[in-house]
Amino acid sequence: MIVLRLLRLLLPALIPSWRFFRAVAASPRIEVRAAGSADWREVAPRPDHLSLARMCRRMLWNPRWNEALYLVSLAERVVEQGSAHAMHELQQRVSKLRPNEQLELRLVFIDVQGGALMREVLYQSAPFGGPC
Amino acid sequence: MGFEFALRLTEVMLALALAQQSLEQIAIDRRDAPWLGLRLALCAALLVPALAAPAIWGLFGLGLWWLWRYDGSFNGGSDKMTLLILACLSAAHLAPDRFWAEMALAYLAVQLVLSYVISGQVKLMNPAWRSGEALRHVFLFSAYPVSEGLRRLADRRLVTFWGGWLVMLTEVAFPLFLLHPLALLAGLVLAAGFHLSNALLFGLNRFFWIWLCAWPSLIWLQGRLTS
Repeated sequence: MIVLRLLRLLLPALIPSWRFFRAVAASPRIEVRAAGSADWREVAPRPDHLSLARMCRRMLWNPRWNEALYLVSLAERVVEQGSAHAMHELQQRVSKLRPNEQLELRLVFIDVQGGALMREVLYQSAPFGGPC
Repeated sequence: MGFEFALRLTEVMLALALAQQSLEQIAIDRRDAPWLGLRLALCAALLVPALAAPAIWGLFGLGLWWLWRYDGSFNGGSDKMTLLILACLSAAHLAPDRFWAEMALAYLAVQLVLSYVISGQVKLMNPAWRSGEALRHVFLFSAYPVSEGLRRLADRRLVTFWGGWLVMLTEVAFPLFLLHPLALLAGLVLAAGFHLSNALLFGLNRFFWIWLCAWPSLIWLQGRLTS
């Protein structure tokens, strides 16, 4: 089983498909709230503006943004594959941002339909985290 | 560029790129610091020519652990290219003779060319890319733009239309750059501009550095095929 799992993970790297951006699919946003509250907040929102100097610095040091992209990838794995590993990772990383709070998260997918942006909630978690 | 120099240059560039990735990763996942620290030590060893082979094999082993830890890639295509380079360099050091070592590096160069050509071909076949809508959507609602301000580029229809075509044509035509060393230089400058734009606008810094690491193999192969 270990060898099969490793092969499943390794083969796409040794014989890559390279189909970058074949189509621009609906894009996930991860939103979180304190369990039971009505106040959904986006996890890792992007800033309104980023200077060119800041963008250049991020060429060498960009950990927060790379983690944000990983969260996006995890959200896609949860919705497309129902991955338990991805959900566990998502909850762990979101809990890190708001420790000692019981939280709920939802995955909102944004797409264009008829020229307008549409938001659709494709997953909402049960409460998780909280004081240990 | 000779084979030995191309191999060594790839190793040195890879050591620096993986060190940068590892330092970022420690900042992201502090509990993974022990094995990421080992990865950093192997990057340092890779800079020493006498230790290159065991360092590459060790880094490939940690690459497998990376896949296991994140159940696949952490950083999409840049992780795939990282593993591909590590696999090709590992094979080059394990090869029984020079012929097979060259085959390993040539495989990396061929995959590098395919990374551009296939990526361009699948875009060209999509009407949304040909009309400029796809690139417009990347800026409008995808998760990639690094600031909300960049989303305004979605309203610049000429930019998204011609930008999309420039990307598609450069990618699809990439093999033509192999016909002459000066053409290859022009192709690599265009590719560098493309990767740099992606890194600045979409925060894909790891893609920029790791794709550069595969370039020596292509420069070597182009010289090998045309000499």
